[in-house]
Amino acid sequence: MSTFTIETQSLNYSFSKEQKTLQDVNLKVEEGSIYGFLGPNGAGKTTTLRLLLGLLTKQEGTIEIFGKEISQHRLAILKNVGSLIEQPSLYSHLTAKENLEVYRKIYGAGKDRISTVLKLVDLENTGKKKAKQFSLGMKQRLSIAIALLHAPRLLILDEPTNGLDPNGIIETRELIKKLNKEHGVTIIVSSHILAEIERMASHVGIIHKGKLLFQGTLPELQHLKNKQSFLQIDTSNNDAAYQLLVQNFAAEKGAGLLKVPVNTKEEAAAINRTLVQNGIDVHLLQPQQNDLEQLFIDITSNN
Amino acid sequence: MSFIISTQSELLKTKRTAAFWLSMIGAAFIPAIFFLVYLLNSKKMILQFKMMPWEQHFGLGWNSLNSFLLPMYIILICAMIPQIEYKNNAWKQVFSSPQSTAEIFFSKFLTVHLMIILALLLFNVFMLLAAVVPNLIYKGYPFLHSKIDWQSLIRLNIKSYVSLLGISAIQFWLSLRFKSFIGPVGIGLALLIGSIIATGFDWEHVSKIPYAHPVLTLRSLAAERMSKPGTAHPFLQNHEWNSLGYFVFFTLLGFFDLRYRKEKG
Repeated sequence: MSTFTIETQSLNYSFSKEQKTLQDVNLKVEEGSIYGFLGPNGAGKTTTLRLLLGLLTKQEGTIEIFGKEISQHRLAILKNVGSLIEQPSLYSHLTAKENLEVYRKIYGAGKDRISTVLKLVDLENTGKKKAKQFSLGMKQRLSIAIALLHAPRLLILDEPTNGLDPNGIIETRELIKKLNKEHGVTIIVSSHILAEIERMASHVGIIHKGKLLFQGTLPELQHLKNKQSFLQIDTSNNDAAYQLLVQNFAAEKGAGLLKVPVNTKEEAAAINRTLVQNGIDVHLLQPQQNDLEQLFIDITSNN
Repeated sequence: MSFIISTQSELLKTKRTAAFWLSMIGAAFIPAIFFLVYLLNSKKMILQFKMMPWEQHFGLGWNSLNSFLLPMYIILICAMIPQIEYKNNAWKQVFSSPQSTAEIFFSKFLTVHLMIILALLLFNVFMLLAAVVPNLIYKGYPFLHSKIDWQSLIRLNIKSYVSLLGISAIQFWLSLRFKSFIGPVGIGLALLIGSIIATGFDWEHVSKIPYAHPVLTLRSLAAERMSKPGTAHPFLQNHEWNSLGYFVFFTLLGFFDLRYRKEKG
């Protein structure tokens, strides 16, 4: 038995022989976490999530959800999973209630669940309005309501904020956090926007060109970010300064400036002292931080 | 039990859709024309219906139905039910719900057949009304004091239903295959027209064309009436057995095609 809600091992998938869509993806989603699944468009996020739901037939590797292999226990697993993949799948000619009713009995949910989830996503007053008359935000919320109908242990959300206005984005994010905190739902949510994930996830997986490049907690990702902080230095004699700093501080030359990686303020002070004590005038000493956005771009562009 | 739930879910999806209205209007179309003819042209029609009024009335009605309208209705209804999912981009949600592929496939197919049965039942009711109501207005019609041969009528209904089973399975399979509405309907219509021509020419293999089976059922029933009294007739003719064969084959083909599809939804 694995301790993870979702665990995949050596997941490979290709739509055509020439191109691998997923390469050796080892996803580990801890119970009770909000796992932000991050990657640019076309990185393989939707393919991974579709494999988790069995919408795509697995080619290589293993997928375990709740400690059970998906290919053998698909229906039992799906009873405890709610999902929203890409655009909403709503019956446009039916009302919000009717859309929920379509799935209610299939999930064996009680009648009271309909009003409960409608309240949860703030759609209890739509009455006879058909889904086709809903705004995109309302459609998205109704789709989430369908996913929540059976009080699932795991929610799989693919780009749930895509196409929403800022208000809709905030509402969806708050809803995700609330579900996780108050109802203990494990959530895997994909996005191509890092800031979005930063604001709600406890764990992050970064996928690019079908490979999982980073996986860990949000603090771990931030730690990685700190490692990439450096000082930009300009002096009266950059060559001499480089000679002084290259050994102890791993300085690098670049674009008429020096770049020196640092982790602490004390290190920055020590660098400055070294330069001044050796008679070099410091014209510029500027800390540069790779923000996560930059880091995300770096991670995804290096490969 | 879970199959019944899946079917309930499917029936709920058809609420307010064109599929439901198509069944209503399709069933009412021919009786409505008959009704108007009986009202507006009563003198001539009263004379015509002197002998065996109900047999003539139902015979004319079913003839118009089976030759074109019924196969066309099957083609459309088979396309409309899967289209509910395609149009709303909803297959992925269906396949992510805890239903087996068999439940998904057969509950949809059962929904199609419930619609067909509803349409056939309504057709009979509307046909009755199309004769009874004009008779209430024009007393000269003999419908009210003539007996209906219920046994023959039920037999005609069942045999017609059997004769359309083959078309329904082929069209349902095609409609699950095609994302678009026009694909299965276009193919169905082409095959239907082809079979109408083949029937017209009395092609010797016409009993092997599923789209001709409803007309062949009517022909065989007409032949039965012409035959000597007392001749025994099998309940199902050759082409009706063929229809059942096509039904079993294409239902299984459709199911396995969906079951082993690599990309669902």
